[in-house]
Amino acid sequence: MKDHFEQEKLSYQSVEVPPALSFTVAAAIREGDRRRRARRRVRRACTAGLAGCACFCLLVNSSPALASALEQVPVLGHLARLVTVEEYHAHNRTRLIDVRRPALTVTGRPQLEEAITVEIDQQIDLLVEEAELRAEEQYTAFTVTGGQEEEFLPVIVTIDYELRCSNQRYLSFLIYQTEVQATAYTQIFAYNLDLTTGEPVTLEDLLGPDYQAIAGEAVQAEMDRRVREEDAVYFTADLGGFSGITAGQLFCLDESGNPVILFQKYEVAPGFMGQQEFTVPIPEPSLQAGR
Amino acid sequence: MTAPTDKRQLLIDHILAGQDGFYRLAYSYVKDPDAAMDVVQESIAKALGKVDGLRQPAYLKTWFYRILVNESVNYFRHSRRLVPLDQDGPGLSAAPEPDYSARIDLHNAIERLGEKERTVIRLRFFEDLKLEEIAKITGANLNTVKSRLYKGLKRLRAWTGEDFYEGSL
Repeated sequence: MKDHFEQEKLSYQSVEVPPALSFTVAAAIREGDRRRRARRRVRRACTAGLAGCACFCLLVNSSPALASALEQVPVLGHLARLVTVEEYHAHNRTRLIDVRRPALTVTGRPQLEEAITVEIDQQIDLLVEEAELRAEEQYTAFTVTGGQEEEFLPVIVTIDYELRCSNQRYLSFLIYQTEVQATAYTQIFAYNLDLTTGEPVTLEDLLGPDYQAIAGEAVQAEMDRRVREEDAVYFTADLGGFSGITAGQLFCLDESGNPVILFQKYEVAPGFMGQQEFTVPIPEPSLQAGR
Repeated sequence: MTAPTDKRQLLIDHILAGQDGFYRLAYSYVKDPDAAMDVVQESIAKALGKVDGLRQPAYLKTWFYRILVNESVNYFRHSRRLVPLDQDGPGLSAAPEPDYSARIDLHNAIERLGEKERTVIRLRFFEDLKLEEIAKITGANLNTVKSRLYKGLKRLRAWTGEDFYEGSL
């Protein structure tokens, strides 16, 4: 009964291939190249005898010698600036992607500049790739479930940045990724740098060892005030609302260098409340002590 | 030893030339276009990520099949991914305990085979691979592959009442 196998093979081969396959393959190749580069980098780093350490947040540690050398650089006005180096638009039938990509310029700090800029680039590339993939998936899902190609509403993705603090000591900025399909959601990534050391600033650096309690109290007090005076609504702690500052708490700095605790939309409050921000004033003594 | 970039290029050429076939093979496992796209996507990304570790470019074809088959088989296994319910496709709609007395067609019969036998049957008859290649892809030795093929065909014969060609063994 060879014929049956031949027939079965024909039906196997006649499975329709979605038009989006080429996009998926192209995206997969990009993703694969990224993994391959990462692998090669790691391998190279290992052969050079360097301990590689991958971390989601910024790693801009340089050698202690360099750090102390950098510390002696005289502070003249605003050290660092963020400049837009690229505006990228990719518009096609499945997606409208707009990216404003920043790069950092720091007076007399080419290495720091480079490290941060590379970090930003990688983060943005990753976000764009992920968004592209999701857009394709949506499109495929839409069409294979009977939707008409021309009725598909493109996924709108915007990646932008926002400078929050730039003074002689600190630089703080956020990168936003917003994706709009039927509903919108935004992801925020925060970058906070101490320009005197070239290292990321932590809440602990700013508020001291009790940072979780200090910031937690400030957030809770402000939440209570907003509920009282502004009809704000927050989730209660037992319903997944705010229950204290975590080690990886998202935050940025305001113009005067005070930490601002950030909660993404839906994190501590219903969606209509949007993104929530709480400024935590730095306690006086540690502000004066500086470093 | 081939230069790393050449291996990458070989793989990309192979993928671009065979992408429709890879999709179909993935689809034959996961029975869902989105899932099949996921599988193809992940297989390609994984393969490219590891292509530098491939020692023999001559094995590129079987090596990539191996990744693809593994990804396909594992797609529903270690995941929170859901099996689509709206499939009226063969296999999924079948009653849990197939009634062997009822004669079924070849397509459904293949779906009822165990995963290992099914893989051998598919690769041998639909992808036209040699048994040696199938052995490399599945990581089993040649005789195991032969016995799986034999058992698979025997079951298909029992279920469908048709005689499949033994000549191909």
